[in-house]
Order: sequence, then structure tokens, then C-alpha cells
Amino acid sequence: MRHITKIYPNGVLADNDVTFEVRAGEIHALVGENGAGKSTLMKILYGMERPTSGQIILRGKPVTIHTPHEAIALGIGMVHQNFMLVPSFTIAENIVLGAEPLRGAFVDRRAAIAATTRLAQEYGLSVDPEAVVDAVPVGMRQRVEILKALYRGADVLILDEPTAVLTPQETHELFAAIRQLVNAGKTVIFISHKLREVMEISDRISVMRDARMVGTIDKREADEHLLARMMVGREVFLDIEKPPAQRGPVVLKVRDLEYATEAGVEVLKHVSFNVYAGEILGIAGVEGNGQTELVEVIAGLRAPLGGVIELDGKSIAGLTPREVRRAGVAHIPEDRLTNGVAMTLSIQENLIVDRYAREPFTRGGLMRPAEIARNSEALIEQYAIRAPDGTLPVGSLSGGNMQKVVVARELSSRPKLLIAAQPTRGVDIGATEFMHEQLIKARNAGVAILLVSADLSEVMSLSDRLAVMHDGRIVAIFPDARGLTEEEVGLYMLGTKTMTPAEIERNW
Amino acid sequence: MEQALQVIFSATFIAAVLRVTTPILLPALGGLVAELGGVANIALEGIMLTAACAGVLISVATQSEWLGLLAGVAMGVLMALVLAFFHLNLKADVILAAIAINILASGSTIFVVFLLTGDKGSTSALVSKQMPFVEIPLIRDIPLLGPIVSGQNLLTYVAFIAVALVAVFLYRTRAGIHLRAVGENPEAARSVGINVRAQQYLALALSGLLAALGGVYLSMGYVKFFARDMTAGRGFIALAAIFLGGKTPLGTMIAALVFGAAEALSVQLGNLRVPNQLVQMIPYVATLVALVVYALAQRQRAIARQRKFRQAQAT
Amino acid sequence: MQATLPTAPAFDRAAERARVQQERRRSAMIDFSVTLGTIALALLVGFLVMLIVGKDPLLAYSSLLSGPLSRSNRTGRWIEDATTLIILGLSVSIPFRARQFSLGAQGQMFIAAMIAAVVAIYLPMPPVVAVLLPLAAAMVVGFLVGLLPGLMKAYLNANEIVSTLMLNAVIVLLYDFLLTNVFTPPGSQSLRSELIQPNSMLLRLTAIFGVNLGRANLAVLFVAILVIAVWALLNRTPFGYEIRTIGANEKFARYGGINTRRTIALSFAIGGAIAAVAGAHLVLGVHQRLIPGIAAGLGFEGIVVALLARNNPLFIPITGVFYSYLRVGGDIMEQEAAVGAEIVQVIQAVIILLLTAQVLVDYVKARSRRARSVSCAA
Repeated sequence: MRHITKIYPNGVLADNDVTFEVRAGEIHALVGENGAGKSTLMKILYGMERPTSGQIILRGKPVTIHTPHEAIALGIGMVHQNFMLVPSFTIAENIVLGAEPLRGAFVDRRAAIAATTRLAQEYGLSVDPEAVVDAVPVGMRQRVEILKALYRGADVLILDEPTAVLTPQETHELFAAIRQLVNAGKTVIFISHKLREVMEISDRISVMRDARMVGTIDKREADEHLLARMMVGREVFLDIEKPPAQRGPVVLKVRDLEYATEAGVEVLKHVSFNVYAGEILGIAGVEGNGQTELVEVIAGLRAPLGGVIELDGKSIAGLTPREVRRAGVAHIPEDRLTNGVAMTLSIQENLIVDRYAREPFTRGGLMRPAEIARNSEALIEQYAIRAPDGTLPVGSLSGGNMQKVVVARELSSRPKLLIAAQPTRGVDIGATEFMHEQLIKARNAGVAILLVSADLSEVMSLSDRLAVMHDGRIVAIFPDARGLTEEEVGLYMLGTKTMTPAEIERNW
Repeated sequence: MEQALQVIFSATFIAAVLRVTTPILLPALGGLVAELGGVANIALEGIMLTAACAGVLISVATQSEWLGLLAGVAMGVLMALVLAFFHLNLKADVILAAIAINILASGSTIFVVFLLTGDKGSTSALVSKQMPFVEIPLIRDIPLLGPIVSGQNLLTYVAFIAVALVAVFLYRTRAGIHLRAVGENPEAARSVGINVRAQQYLALALSGLLAALGGVYLSMGYVKFFARDMTAGRGFIALAAIFLGGKTPLGTMIAALVFGAAEALSVQLGNLRVPNQLVQMIPYVATLVALVVYALAQRQRAIARQRKFRQAQAT
Repeated sequence: MQATLPTAPAFDRAAERARVQQERRRSAMIDFSVTLGTIALALLVGFLVMLIVGKDPLLAYSSLLSGPLSRSNRTGRWIEDATTLIILGLSVSIPFRARQFSLGAQGQMFIAAMIAAVVAIYLPMPPVVAVLLPLAAAMVVGFLVGLLPGLMKAYLNANEIVSTLMLNAVIVLLYDFLLTNVFTPPGSQSLRSELIQPNSMLLRLTAIFGVNLGRANLAVLFVAILVIAVWALLNRTPFGYEIRTIGANEKFARYGGINTRRTIALSFAIGGAIAAVAGAHLVLGVHQRLIPGIAAGLGFEGIVVALLARNNPLFIPITGVFYSYLRVGGDIMEQEAAVGAEIVQVIQAVIILLLTAQVLVDYVKARSRRARSVSCAA
């Protein structure tokens, strides 16, 4: 790809004169911060975006790729970060989607299943062809995505942040599969920002920053610190400094918490733990093991089936979200940009969603615009939100500043307990640092913090104590998060190891 | 009461059910295809109305029921494509755009009928054609079954055959599978090279075609004229049938039959000197009750599942 | 995605604010011109339709566009219709702001007219009370009839479009039934109820101004009160905040602690109570009795009025006055030029289609932005 430039219609410059070369049969990592332009570059290669200028050369010949269809025809396949699967279709149906084998006028299901089985065996990617995608674990869904690309005859495979949702063990399996693919003559482009993984799997590494290509280096010449410097242009601290926790009394007490979805799937099974004032309790676990539901049950967004949730000794189980908030719980939601803000409402209005009906914002049944504006000006100032005017819609802010709006609102409610779900997902290093600082500041001020994160290194370095969830249960609680290794925690995350109930109870 | 029961279990009654189910079932199948393609088609009502009107007028002009049918279907598909264009290309809110289509249909049909006949009510002054009624040899002579199955309007047979055709299309053909994939996860479909917009155009065009057949049946089968707003909410009852039928072709058919039975019953009760308006309410009340019952049943099922989990826990 | 350069200039809040405010004024101007352009275009479509069907479009349009002002009683009809439409538009704007497509105004008006008439015919009352009590009764019933589909949507997730339309059909049939069998006095030649008691009749403007203004009446005062009340409700009360937040993002509203179900159900109900005012106006002010199809054909008109005003209660009087002008003009056109008044419905549909076509609006905005940057460069 030569001199690729992409300017979006809204004026955002995503790629600026980027040249990127991949050799046949190599594993090439493409790294960079969120928003550095890697995804856009790959979308251009896969025909999902058109470059504003520049050229793509494949096997020595210039090509134009305007649709994913054309990319597929040229042997380019892509595995997207959020899986591109149809949940109610079977695995085989998903794999052949768009290129179904036909018998007469109809789709040949048997041939689809046979093709799936054959490919799965050939590349050592085991899947159940007749299972419905909705019902299979994340690891298998990812294998389905890879098989989907291979079924279409892909020689070049683009993997977009493939390990984001995997356990360390699943990641190892994925890497083994990638090596097998390369041995079979395929080329793999591996997009990531996890430097350790990049160092483990790739042959060569290209780094992007601020829409430009910083450079391509051989793995042998690279180390993590060099890559980090290339990515952000300065040394970053991968370790988070924090003073020792001043642990206070129990703020949140959860005992035997049970929850089942409306479909009757049991998601939380006798979950018990405490969160103390002035500490961060981290919850590690592969996504989809009950963390989302745990957070939403505590926040009052779902009603528990049984068990105890107490805040400062008072039960908050089964209360409405408003009552839970009144009791002193703040919640930074997992999917902030869809649940944490209302894009078309103003910044002022977004900042009062938890307190609009109270003094000083409402008096005698009427809302008071002056107070609402004052509140927003103060928070914009205090949290350095880059907003020209509080009356602007939140949707006009950048993603990072929208995050700040959420954090400003939740922390300014002076909570006893702060629940932070995936606080740094999808944000760049600058915003991540801001978020970490704010969490530690709140903890030092005596707030009890429940941190749920799928990013193992984050949850391990931020937390004072660490709990691990697997299959709806707490399978371990470590009284001190320091000194643990990712591999050790990973074994618990996969359910291979479990602490005894007595051991867990000791660490409540 | 006895009299009413006798009515319900007679062959003529069941034949009547099939007759009145037809103009609910056809648009319901159309709405189903659109729904599975990811577009809620609230414009079924307007599409039916224009098709009913165009069919009658062209059959008057040409004295051919077949050309009338063709014109009606073409008009219905055209209306659906207008909706598709505004929603898919111009990004109009699909519900508001569909409301506009319905208003357009109601206004323009009355406008045109008034223009041609000087009467805003109906085209009964004109001589229009009707789609043929089909007497099936042999079956016609079977007692009980004969009067039900034989002698129906051609489009009634089309409606029930369409249930199977739509099912085969949606689950067995490439186009149908792509259409469902687009409805469920458009990003996934796009990523494997399926043209999402083209599939949604197809979904809406098919829904227009099926709803138009329902409209033509109303004015050229069920009766032999076009009357203002003659669809009388059937396009919306059809929507209810889709949801009650669990968004499957077979379920939709069963739901449509239930609504058809309610309407046929209202006609029969009308003959028994129950006040006209109260009887006419039956299908609408039935739809409302069905909406509530369906929702309550779903919730009960969810609660039962949760409770079962609790009991399993306890033991 | 924005690529921030390392040497990005410091964030100048004051300058940014000035720029943003200018941008906002421009955007409002564009919205306004788009609305005007849409109306002009829709009228043009109507014009072309008449040209095609061989009617004399000039004659037709001159009676359409000047009709309501040609005689004072026609102006009265315009005022009377505008009163109804503005109230209807206000009624629709409340559930629409919560992104609930309640189409129940039709039925709510019918049942409200009926209740207002029952009270005003059969219950002897002193002046003033004789107006307020039927009105209040109508609003209570409108509230309840709105609440039903609201509860069905909020608590059972039943599609509100289907439920409100079914309810409309049931109510209209019920109205018909009761008018035929109960309210029409025995031996009456035509299908209609008795007149309401004189105390309940809203004073007609004809009596005040001494010119023949037809059936236009004091209900115009209701309009002024309701516009302010609905504006205040939406913009100055916690309930209005809840409605707007739900309309913007329902998940966010729930997460923030808003009782979304209650608010959604109430938005339907309050819309119903306001639609009931329109229904009461038809009985107490316009017809002074029940007649067949008293509110027929008004079902979707409130939607157009609200949509043209972008659900902003302060703009609804303007769009309501405009739209009723078209409607009354259409009737006059039908009398004078023998062109069906339904052409107005066609124009209405074109207006909705064009106004909801987001791409067209964005295109106009982008064009004007480009034009401006070109003129700056020059």
C-alpha cells in the first residue's frame, strides 16, 4: 500500500501518506494507539473504505478494491474486532454466508457442513458446524471468523485485535493456529496494541501514530520500550504508581447473589464479596462470565433472583436505579457512548441525569436553568472537558471528552461506591491515564471502587485486591493484587483452577 | 348462542374465514419479509390501498382483470420502492416516511376516484372486473371439504401457497438467507460482500408485491369495486399478525387465521341482528387483546424459566 | 479518530464558543429555509399533479391560496381549524419527544367529544363551570384512553402503532353506535344529538367582533394557554426532562435513574388529555352537539403540524396556522374549481417525506458550508 491518504467526509484525517508493505508468508503486526489510523488502513485494504489518494499493489500489480467482495476475490480476508456473525445462524451457515454452495436453486446445507468440517480439520480450528453461533463461546466464534475468511480462499488474513476478548490460554491457542496458517503458506496481518503479544507472535512490526506510519522494524531489532516510544512518541509508564491503600470499613457487601436472564440462563451463581472504603477491588475474567450482569444487578438495572446486596449495612437489592444511586452508588457503564450519554442532549443536561429532580436543579416543581449551567461550568472546568459551551449537544464532543462527561457526572455525585466497568475500553493512552488517575484519586479519598475490566494487565495493576469470575462464580479472591502473574490469574479465568470456598471466604 | 355455535362450525363459516383471512395474510407475509430484512414496513396499509385502486381502474379501462392485477401489483411495488428510496437512500425515518405513504395513498386514491367518477365514496358506478373463482374438480364434490377448499378466489389460493413460497425463499434460497442475515446483522452481511441496501430494497419490493396482492384481492375478489379507505386497518392488523406469529411464515399464517376468524364471526353475528358497529369492533378488539395476551404470555414464560432455575438451585 | 498533532494550539474556549454560536445560528437559519423550501416544493408537486390531470391549476391554486381570506366566514373557518390543529400538534409533540409513535389522537378526540357532550347536555351547570367541567371530564377520559396504549407499550412492549390504531377503530365504532342508539333523540330526522346547554357553548368570535367569523370561538384562548403549558412542561419541569432524555436515549435514561416505563406511559396519557381538549373544542365551540364523524380525518394532521415544527411547542402555532390555511383553502378549491380537497393530503405527504429525508437536509447544509468557505477563500 503506497502513499495512502484517507480524509473522511467530516474532515477527519485518518491516514496521512501511509506506505505499508507486507511480505508473503510473514506474520506482520500493525500497532498503534486507538485512532492512530490502523483500522482505517485495513478497512481500505479490505475495500470497506476508499482511500482519498494512494495506491494498493498486490503481488506486483496495482489493484483497486472498492468492496469487500473485490477484496475477497483478490484473496484478502478480514477478521473483525467485533465479530461479524449472524447470531441465529449455525456456524456452517455463517461460514458459507455470501458464498453458499447451491444445489439447483437452493442452498446446499449438507455441502456447507462438509466444507466447514474439512477446513476445520485442515487448519486445526475446531468448531461444531451445526451449533448456533449465539450459543458457542467467544473463542469458537473467533475460529469461525478465521474459517470464514479461509473458506473464501483468503491468502492474506487481517486479524483486527483478535486477542481482546480471549483468555491467555485461548490466546496461546490462537497463536498456535496462526503459526499453522503461516506454515500452510498464508500471510497474516495482526493488529494489536498489546506489545507483549506483538513481540511473541510477529515477524515484522509496523507502528502507526497520528495517522502516519512511524516505521517498520524486524522483531529481532525491537523491544517493548522501543515500540511504546514509537507508538506515543514519549516514554509511557506501563506501571501505575499508587500509594498503599488506606482500607476502611465494608461499604458494599454482596452475599449469595443469584441472577438468571429472562431466557432462563443462570448467569450469577452465589456470588459473594466485600468492597471496602478506600480500596479498589478488581474483577478479572473473560467477558461473558457474568461481570456485566453483576454490575447491572448492583446498579439496579436488573433485579436479582436472590441473595444480599448491602451498602453501608442497608439492603439495596432489587431497588430501582434511582434508589440505588440515592443510596450512594455511582456507575461508569461498560458501553459509555451508548448508555452513558445521550448524544442529542446538551452537556448540561447530560451532567444532571442522576440529580435533575433534586435541589438545586429543581425547586417547586420547576427546573432552574441557571443552576444547571453553573453545575456544568464547574465540572467542565474541574475535569478539563474540552467543550466550548455547556449548551452544545454531547455528540459534538470527541470520544475522550464524552468519557470525561461521564466520569465528571459520576464522581461529582460524591458516591460511597463507584462501579467502573471496562473504564478504558476503546480509549487512547491519554484518556486511559486520565481515567486511572481519577480512579486512584477517588480511592485515596475513601471511595470504595469496584473495577471490572477484561484488560488483565489493567485490572492487575490498578486493583488492591483482585477477584476472578468464571462461569458466573467468584473462583478466587487474592488479598493482594501485587506479585500475581497473568498466567496464574489466567488459569482461574479459564476455570482450570479454583480456590476453595473457605479460602475465598477468608478473603471476602 | 346455539345459533352462533352452529354458524361457527359450518362449512360456509370456515370458507368465509379463508375469504377474509386472505387480505390479512398477504400483507402480513409481505410485512414479515420486510421485518426479517430489518425494515419495519408500516406502509402496508397504503400499499394495499393504492394497489386496490389501481387494479380496479385499470380493469375498468382495459376490461381485463389480468391487466388490472398487473397494474395493482406494479403500483404496490412502486409505493414500496418509494418508501425504500426515502428510507434507504435519503435516510428518512422509516415510520414517519411510511405514515406519509399511507396519507399519500388515502388522499391520492380518493382524489383520482373523485376525478374520474365525481364520487368520493367508491367506484361502484364503474364496471370493473374480478379475479376468477376457482372450482376444483373432484375436491368440489367432497362433502364439507368441498365447499371450503373449492370455489375460492384465485388470490385466496395464492395467499396460502405464498406461505410456503415465502418460507422456502427465506430459509432455502441464497437471496432469502442473505436477506435474513442483513436483517439480523447488517455489518456481518456487508463484511462478506452482501449488498445490504440491495437486500433491503428486495425485502421492501417483495413486501410491496405481497401487500399489493392483498389490496387487489379486496377490490377485485372480495368485492368488485374500490371504496375509499377500504383497507380499514388490515395493513396494521397484518403487522400485529407478524409479531403474534413469532416472525415465522407459519406462525404468521396462524395469527392471520385467528384475526380472519374474528372478522368472519363479526359478519355472521351481524346477520343475527347484533348492532352493526359492535360487531365490527370484534377484529380490532381481538387484535388488542391478542397483543396483550401475547406480551403477558411471553413475560409469564420468562418468569417461569427464572423460577425453574430457582427450583433447580434449591434442590 | 481525530489526529491531534503534537503542536496542537491551546484550546481557546472563548473563540470556540463564538464560533459554535455562529454555527448554531446558521444551522437554525438553514433548518428554517429547508422547511420553507419543502413547503414550496410540495405545493409545486400539487400544482404539477393538477396540470397533469388537466384541471386548471391556476384557478385551483388561486382559490387554495387566497380562499381563506376571501370572505370573513372563511377566515372564521381557518381560525376554527387552526385552533383544533394546534392543539392536536401539541398533543402529538409530547409522545413524539419521547420517541413514542402514538397515533391515538383520532380516537381520543372522538371519545373526548362524546364525554364533553354528555356532561354539557345532561348535567345542568352554572356559567363557566358549564364549560370547565365538560372540558375537565373530556381531559380525564382522554388521559385514560391515552394511558392504555402507553401502559401496553411501557410495561408489555406492545407495538404502539398497532395498539393506538386498533383503539381508534374501536372508539370510532363505539361513537357511531352510541350516537345512533343513545344520543340521537327518538323521532329525530337526522343522526345527531341535542344541542348542549347554552352555558356550555363557548362564546363565538362573531359575537365579539361583530363580523361573521363563522364558528370560530373563544377556544383560541385555550391555544395560548396550552402552548405555554406544553413548552414549560417539556423544558422547565423534571417530567419534561425525563421525556426528552428518553427520546434522546432510552437506555441512558434508565441508567441515570429515570423511571422510563412510568414516563413513557404518562407521555401517551398527557398527549391524550391534550387531544381531548381538541375534541371538547369540537363540541363546545364548533358544532355545539354531536354529529356523525365529528373528528373524522383529523387523525394524522397533528403529526404534520408537530413534524413541521420539529416538535417544538413554540413553533407549533405557526405551523398549525399555516397548515389549517392549506386545509381550508383546499375545501374552497374543491367548491370553486372542482378539484378534490384530497390534493392537500398529497401535499401533506410530500412535506413529511421531504422533511424526514435527512440526507436532503444535510446536503443543503453541506452545500451552504462549502459555498461559504469558497466565498471566504475568495
